[in-house]
Amino acid sequence: MRKQFTILVCKILKFVGGLIGKGSSLPGQIALKIYPDILGSIQLPKYIVAVTGSNGKTSTVEMIAHTLCESGKKVVWNKEGSNQIEGVTTLILSNSTLSGKVKCDILLIESDERFAKYTFKYITPTHYVITNLYRDQLTRNGHPQWVYNAIKDSIHPETQLILNADDPLVSCFGYKKENITWFGVGDIPTDTKDFDGVYNDGAYCPICKAPMTYSSYHYDHIGMYECANCGHKRNDTEYTVTDADLEKGEITINDKYKITLSLKSLYNVYNILAAFTVASIVGVDNDEICKHLSNYVLKNFRVVTFTLGNRKGTLVTSKHENSISYNQSLKLAASDKECDVLIIVDAVSRKYFTSDVSWLWDINFDVLKSENVRNVVLAGTYCNDLATRFSYSQVQKEKIKVIESIEDAVNFLDNDSKDKIYVITCFSDKGKFLDKVKVD
Amino acid sequence: MKLLHLYHDIMNLYGEYANVSALERIISNSGENVEIDRISLGDTADLQAYDFIYIGSGTEDNQKLVLEDFAKYKDSIAEYINSNKPALFTGNSFEMLGKTIIDCNGKEYEGLGIFDFKVVEQNKRRVTADIVYTADFLNKPVVGFVNKCSEINGIDSHLFQVKYGIGDSKDSTNEGIRSNSFFGTHVTGPILIKNPHLLLYIAQLISNNTRDFAVSTEHLQRENSAYEVTLRELNKRYAQ
Ligand SMILES: [Zn+2]
Repeated sequence: MRKQFTILVCKILKFVGGLIGKGSSLPGQIALKIYPDILGSIQLPKYIVAVTGSNGKTSTVEMIAHTLCESGKKVVWNKEGSNQIEGVTTLILSNSTLSGKVKCDILLIESDERFAKYTFKYITPTHYVITNLYRDQLTRNGHPQWVYNAIKDSIHPETQLILNADDPLVSCFGYKKENITWFGVGDIPTDTKDFDGVYNDGAYCPICKAPMTYSSYHYDHIGMYECANCGHKRNDTEYTVTDADLEKGEITINDKYKITLSLKSLYNVYNILAAFTVASIVGVDNDEICKHLSNYVLKNFRVVTFTLGNRKGTLVTSKHENSISYNQSLKLAASDKECDVLIIVDAVSRKYFTSDVSWLWDINFDVLKSENVRNVVLAGTYCNDLATRFSYSQVQKEKIKVIESIEDAVNFLDNDSKDKIYVITCFSDKGKFLDKVKVD
Repeated sequence: MKLLHLYHDIMNLYGEYANVSALERIISNSGENVEIDRISLGDTADLQAYDFIYIGSGTEDNQKLVLEDFAKYKDSIAEYINSNKPALFTGNSFEMLGKTIIDCNGKEYEGLGIFDFKVVEQNKRRVTADIVYTADFLNKPVVGFVNKCSEINGIDSHLFQVKYGIGDSKDSTNEGIRSNSFFGTHVTGPILIKNPHLLLYIAQLISNNTRDFAVSTEHLQRENSAYEVTLRELNKRYAQ
């Protein structure tokens, strides 16, 4: 009775919340108050796929859901992105019958990395994808090792782990374990022999702390690493990007399956590879997966194209407090044709307050010295911090314009130049720009 | 002018290398030659040969690893500090100079014992905050961020007084340690970039202790504006 009542309350609250546009975590929060163990009493489907990690989990989950739905599977997933236990509870109960059965083929859960241990206390995922562990929101997360320890507590021994082999810290979850599904990128033309970031989180082995060596880097500390001391190394992968032509926008998985990219960044390639891996494991035909993932444009508004007067532009949502996210966006701009780049740091986060900008010092802004980058405009409350950071970069002084007001920065860019505009900023600030231009 | 950045590649969690870059720039803009040695685990250095020493913050595990290596400098770092030469240790690096560090499993590590304080770590939650501190030797407050999981007790000569944010331990109104020209604080990240007045103060100490050069400040306009904005934002936030 208590179970049915709790499910009913959750469904009603979810429905009412939907009408008034309220967030999706409150119904679950109340359900957990009424019946703290409710999740343990729900009958879940055959496949329960969890996805966590620092970067790319929302995009990965969206692409998995898209592929599975297009292939005729019934998927329940947290598309609103409420990824802590309350949001997941709302998701499960509102998709459950009153008797407590979730009717779908696959339950797909994006989980916040720090709080995964609470979410997966009552739910045991059949498959668990861990995408990467980067310096991300360190003002809350502490550091990647701290997050690693939190995720470790969320893993059940019977769960099939699906791990990014190219990330030395993520790979520790599979250290000396059998039956891991590894995915990763093979030798591709954009690899470098030398490390080209500002800091190297792969300098020391995460298992034994001896210095690690890399035969090549894909980006930052993601690559082909090996520790001579303890043997921790990049594992052979079952799902591999065997070729990637980022200029053309095409990747090949396992020498055979070709996918065309709508977003030509390596970062995005990892999300696609993770989605391919999951879809393949739950039984979708590989050729069919390629069809659904090819040219797929993410609906989560990470990338927005816009028009400003006579000029065309792309806003690439990049996470503040996350240098790897920024590095990827900067590389994308620097490798395109002639362009102006606008960087906005106005509010560091949309969810909490901090004025910490030490993460700016971890970003490799040097890539903007590239000849095709014409102007670099720095805007927002923290434009002086940006300008200071740039004064320590190799970016040519004469390129840099510091314009605190976002409106003035937009006016500066509203000219007759034929060059494209790249806007690099976070969820917290992108609306402040997009409401001043025409979104395509 | 010789600066030493110790454990640069492993105690560098929050962009702390920039503290050394800031000193390098201000000293060279003042017309002095600057030489920086960046060394790490397994290397050895003659500390007395330097005019300034810096260590940044690391993960709890890496701090223990560094502590094991750093023990070899026990006598020479004591001599360095006693001879009034300037050094700055930020984040959990200065914890190594105390008596003991007890980790989240209750294991006790012996510190270098230069100071009498004791450190206790936990692994339940990160202790973080934007901070505004004051210091008797500065005419403006210091802004920054603290990111730690430890409490420190037993410091008798504090570096800062807490205006906003967190101190050495729960309810403590003081933070960090000062002894001669040694500065230890749990403020993480590029504190010398964020606080040009503190940068100036330390650069001045380096100059007084060595060749008495006049510190140049002309290049710090952006830094000064950034500082004012952050102080304004933090005051606004904490006044709420
Ligand atoms: Zn190792």
